[in-house]
Amino acid sequence: MTSRRKFLSSTAVFAAAAISTDALAQAVAGKGQFGASGLVGNLQGPTQSTVIPTSFKEAPQLAELVKAGKLPPVAQRLPAEPMVIKPLESVGKYGGTWRRAFIGPSDGENGNRIMASDKLLFWDFTGSKIVPSVAKSFDISADGRVTTLHLRKGMKWSDGAPFTADDFVFWFEDIYGNKDIVPAPIADMAAGGKAGKVVKVNETTVQFVFENPYFLFPSMIAGDTLIGGGQSVQQSGARSYGAYAPAHYLKQFLPKYSSEAEVSAKAKAAGFDTWVRHLHVKKDWQLNPEIPTLGPWRTTRPINTPTWVMERNPYYYAVDTDGAQLPYIDTIVMTLAENIEVANLRAMAGEYDLQERHMDLAKLPVILENRERGKYDVHLDLAYNGADTTLHVNMDYRADPLIGKLLGTADFRRALSMGIDREQLNETFWLGLATPGSTAPAEAMPENPGPEWRNKWSTLDIAAANKMLDGLGLSKKDSDGYRLRPDNGKRLVIELLAVKAFMDWPKHAEMIAQHWRKIGIYGDVKESERGLAFQRMLSGDHQLFVWTNGGTELLYLYPSWALPTDVSNGAYGVEHAKWYASEGTQGTKPSDPHMVRALELFRSAAGQQEAERHKTAQEIWKIMVDQQFHIGICGQSPALMGVRLASRRLANIPGRTCIAQHCRTPGSAHPESWFYKA
Amino acid sequence: MIAFVTRRLLLGLLTTWLISVLSFAIIQLPPGDFVDAYIAQLASSGSAVSAEEARSLRELYGLGQPFYVQYGKWIARVVVGDFGESMEWRRPVIEVIGDRIWLTLALSFAALIVTWTLALPIGIYSAVRQYSLADYIFTFFGFIGIAVPNFLLALVIMYFAFTLLGASVGGLFSAEMTLAPWGWEKAWDLIKHLPLPAVILALAGTAQLVRIMRANLLDELRKPYVVTARAKGLSEMRTVLKYPVRAALNPFASNLAYQFPQLISGGIIISIVLGLPTVGPLLVKSLVAKDMFLAGTIVLLLGVLTVIGTFISDLVLMWVEPRLRHQLD
Repeated sequence: MTSRRKFLSSTAVFAAAAISTDALAQAVAGKGQFGASGLVGNLQGPTQSTVIPTSFKEAPQLAELVKAGKLPPVAQRLPAEPMVIKPLESVGKYGGTWRRAFIGPSDGENGNRIMASDKLLFWDFTGSKIVPSVAKSFDISADGRVTTLHLRKGMKWSDGAPFTADDFVFWFEDIYGNKDIVPAPIADMAAGGKAGKVVKVNETTVQFVFENPYFLFPSMIAGDTLIGGGQSVQQSGARSYGAYAPAHYLKQFLPKYSSEAEVSAKAKAAGFDTWVRHLHVKKDWQLNPEIPTLGPWRTTRPINTPTWVMERNPYYYAVDTDGAQLPYIDTIVMTLAENIEVANLRAMAGEYDLQERHMDLAKLPVILENRERGKYDVHLDLAYNGADTTLHVNMDYRADPLIGKLLGTADFRRALSMGIDREQLNETFWLGLATPGSTAPAEAMPENPGPEWRNKWSTLDIAAANKMLDGLGLSKKDSDGYRLRPDNGKRLVIELLAVKAFMDWPKHAEMIAQHWRKIGIYGDVKESERGLAFQRMLSGDHQLFVWTNGGTELLYLYPSWALPTDVSNGAYGVEHAKWYASEGTQGTKPSDPHMVRALELFRSAAGQQEAERHKTAQEIWKIMVDQQFHIGICGQSPALMGVRLASRRLANIPGRTCIAQHCRTPGSAHPESWFYKA
Repeated sequence: MIAFVTRRLLLGLLTTWLISVLSFAIIQLPPGDFVDAYIAQLASSGSAVSAEEARSLRELYGLGQPFYVQYGKWIARVVVGDFGESMEWRRPVIEVIGDRIWLTLALSFAALIVTWTLALPIGIYSAVRQYSLADYIFTFFGFIGIAVPNFLLALVIMYFAFTLLGASVGGLFSAEMTLAPWGWEKAWDLIKHLPLPAVILALAGTAQLVRIMRANLLDELRKPYVVTARAKGLSEMRTVLKYPVRAALNPFASNLAYQFPQLISGGIIISIVLGLPTVGPLLVKSLVAKDMFLAGTIVLLLGVLTVIGTFISDLVLMWVEPRLRHQLD
């Protein structure tokens, strides 16, 4: 496989973007026939300019409204210091409807991600550098206890009302602080176990104050976290987080500003049981076209109808380098596809203008075949997480003491890992486009422990694996060549719990089970419905769970699929997660000292400065890969949201874009800067 | 007669109530609830739900309560016509179903009409001209129609529509029409999209009905009264249509009971394959998402329609079959 990978010549272009040459070569410039076809382009995207244009332009429809006196002039709608986006290729022109697919009311993330510039801070197109967004800048005190956000003066909500520090205080006191709406505080808003608070300094300055050092906080704000996710994602789907909320609009639904009886009556009249449920619908931008927002578009036809429609936000706070207010595209129309097959077929017929969500890597050959007819280009975007397919090991398996002991033994996990032929899996399921190896994040990411950890315990070595298993007292085999249990002499069976979600994991698991025959391990694939699998995992009923480790490329922001820190995820033993989350007061302490060490390192990182924090993450990754808490198969591929079909009429479309949880694919490519050439 | 009708009505009500309990119980049988399904759904789309969030969601929907409390609350509201709020769609259930029910009915009726207009004449012809060339041809295609699963047929037809005609795949409206307000143009767009799914939906039913009609009529045609009628010199057309066909239609009347729920849930798999915005896929999705109120309401609706269908088919049978009427008297 390595021979098929070519080094990219233009790596210097990215040096400025904090990505090492090494990393980029690894991040795959060209792979076999796909490289030759130019499907994997250069990582690129729009940037921000500090030069504020002197005059501003606006879309023709808005100009007409201004003329009719229905809207204030564009200069008054923009903040004094708007965000200035330098589009990828050129400044664009207004107009057009972006046709796109969504698969139902549960697909809200589809739109949330397009609205990602309503986040307070965000990442640049490389996904490795924090940049301003709603907040024009931030600073953190030397002791790490106070993070200050500076807002844009004169910035407005989509209904024209001013957006100020009061909207933060309102969220903190009246939404987050209301036990009826948010019953339990979130970990994001606490440092060292002590809850923090939100303080207004003046109209455009707001502070997050903690009792303990919290150097990680700006990253939390930029990340896809409960506190930093932004209004669209964190105040939809009955969530109530996200650091700010439109006070002037939401007050009418809160008892504090009228009376419990009045808001309850309002809720009843609208057909809801309680005022809380009414509020959840009213503050949800996907459901309520009236809710003021900050993103480039706003909903005009809600998500729970067959078409989800968005129109430009006349008060959007960003302009291009020419002073033209963004977005360029007038309208987004998402049509309901009853299933993913239909979405893929329609995409191939050219019925969508830009679609990366729900596109199936396995259909790539057919997608390519129809390029001319559907008049679209295909781009493959490679992810940064180590493994799209990971075997997550339950370190707290109790149903069978022998299996539990084996799963808790590092050499057993290493042997399982070395018994897997990753090259074959890559060719079969990723069309050879992925990078086989451990779960460690891409070498481009600052938390990567070093290239030698890609293959550590993660290449096919049947002889070494067999030797390790023999050393564990599993040397007796039955007539079929499978190893026997030392306790009762029966065949040793290891279960792989797999779900068909965005990859066909049961099939991956079947192939792994076949590979394991050579090391005498009988792998039993248990295919399960998704909800049921997660339920089983929460009760610790699984041995190995097959899932991605997407998101772990920024370990501190999304550790769910790397360490037992999240009590809603039982992959590594929910009791261990409880132990960690409750700081040792609940659950059980992991018996493996390496796991304890990894968790201690993880906890200590929140109070560390950036450079030191990256070092800590590298330490944690070394432990995790060395100990094989999770067995990586293949990753850094376009399998999840990385197959992008873009209409040839569209311009400013990056050749390659960041696909990652924190990049809010396609958010960090700023869809508001795309436009129709014709 | 009146006593009979009243008894059937009361039994129907009791059955409906039992269906409501059963449907609610069945939906709750699999482990996990809406919040679990929601968490799993988000996890697979690359997002996460924190423990705090999961707890507040459960509280919000009252999912922690025991079965009978949840059922009691639900049924008390259903009785007064309030079917609750769909957790997944976050809208009143009645609106979610209402959005789709007219299209569903339009499609089902279209399919029903296609089925009957094809099946009855072909069935009669096959019986009257038994073992003729045409009968063999119809029989051949009939067996294919029964043997090939419709969803496969749907896939094949969809493939050819896409590759040969470049036709828009899936759905009942073209892309530009989905947004348009209702009017002549949109109705015309619907009429253009309707035949394909209607024919696919109708085909299996047609094949089956042809076989049933043929078999029933063959039984009747051999009876002495037909021979007598022919002997008396009645025209062939009149001989066949006036008596034997009428008698052969009885099974159709009793079949009516099954047609009613079919109107709503007919061809769920076909609807999913073709991406039709009908009630069938909605039911499947609501079950997967464990959206209790929506799934409960649809299952209840299907149950009620079966009960009504049975009731009506009893009445129709009594009307077309004098022997039944006389038994009662």
